[in-house]
Amino acid sequence: MIEGILSNQIRSLRFQHGEMTQSQLGERIGVTRQTIAAMESGKYAPSLEAAFRVAHVFGVPLVEVFQWEACRPNEDRRTD
Amino acid sequence: MPYREKVAWLSLTAMMVTFGPYFVAVAISPPGDELPNIQQLRALAVAALSQLVLLGAGYLYLRRTSRGESKLPDERDQAISRRSIRYAYGVLTVGMIVVGCVMPFSSGGWTIVNAALLMIVLAEVVHYGAVVLGYRRYA
Repeated sequence: MIEGILSNQIRSLRFQHGEMTQSQLGERIGVTRQTIAAMESGKYAPSLEAAFRVAHVFGVPLVEVFQWEACRPNEDRRTD
Repeated sequence: MPYREKVAWLSLTAMMVTFGPYFVAVAISPPGDELPNIQQLRALAVAALSQLVLLGAGYLYLRRTSRGESKLPDERDQAISRRSIRYAYGVLTVGMIVVGCVMPFSSGGWTIVNAALLMIVLAEVVHYGAVVLGYRRYA
């Protein structure tokens, strides 16, 4: 499986949208403030539907909110 | 702290402070295997009722202090719940195999009753413990 790192721009997008609070964003996409905080800190990866909802709230494409970067494969590891 | 994490802490605490002393007492002075054993039944009833009272009072307190917080689980709550139930199910399955399929060949009466209760309590502790850890890890 390809390992990767999921990052997001939720915090900066919130501030660009009238300093929207985590609670306000959570209410609009149907999750708690704590879940938004966990998403922002990268400790929780949202479902695809929640991710689309976040993008919809900010009016931007999904890729402007969430980014996924593949980790470099370990060059020392060899598979037969 | 999310509402559901508070509920998990409450359930975990109530379980530990009621059934913890019950099982310590059972380990120190194991009950006889005769049935019914009114003294043992009374001890079990005290533990169960104490847990009920603690949970009731705790829920009322949480309801009062958590006004405005969503009580419905969101997707992260559900993911944490699913994971914790999976762990608890494993513990309960192993426990029930031991109690129901192994212990009857060597024990009986209250030994089996208390072993079954212990496995249920262990499964619940694992369940709520995993919920708490889940919130700590994904918070």
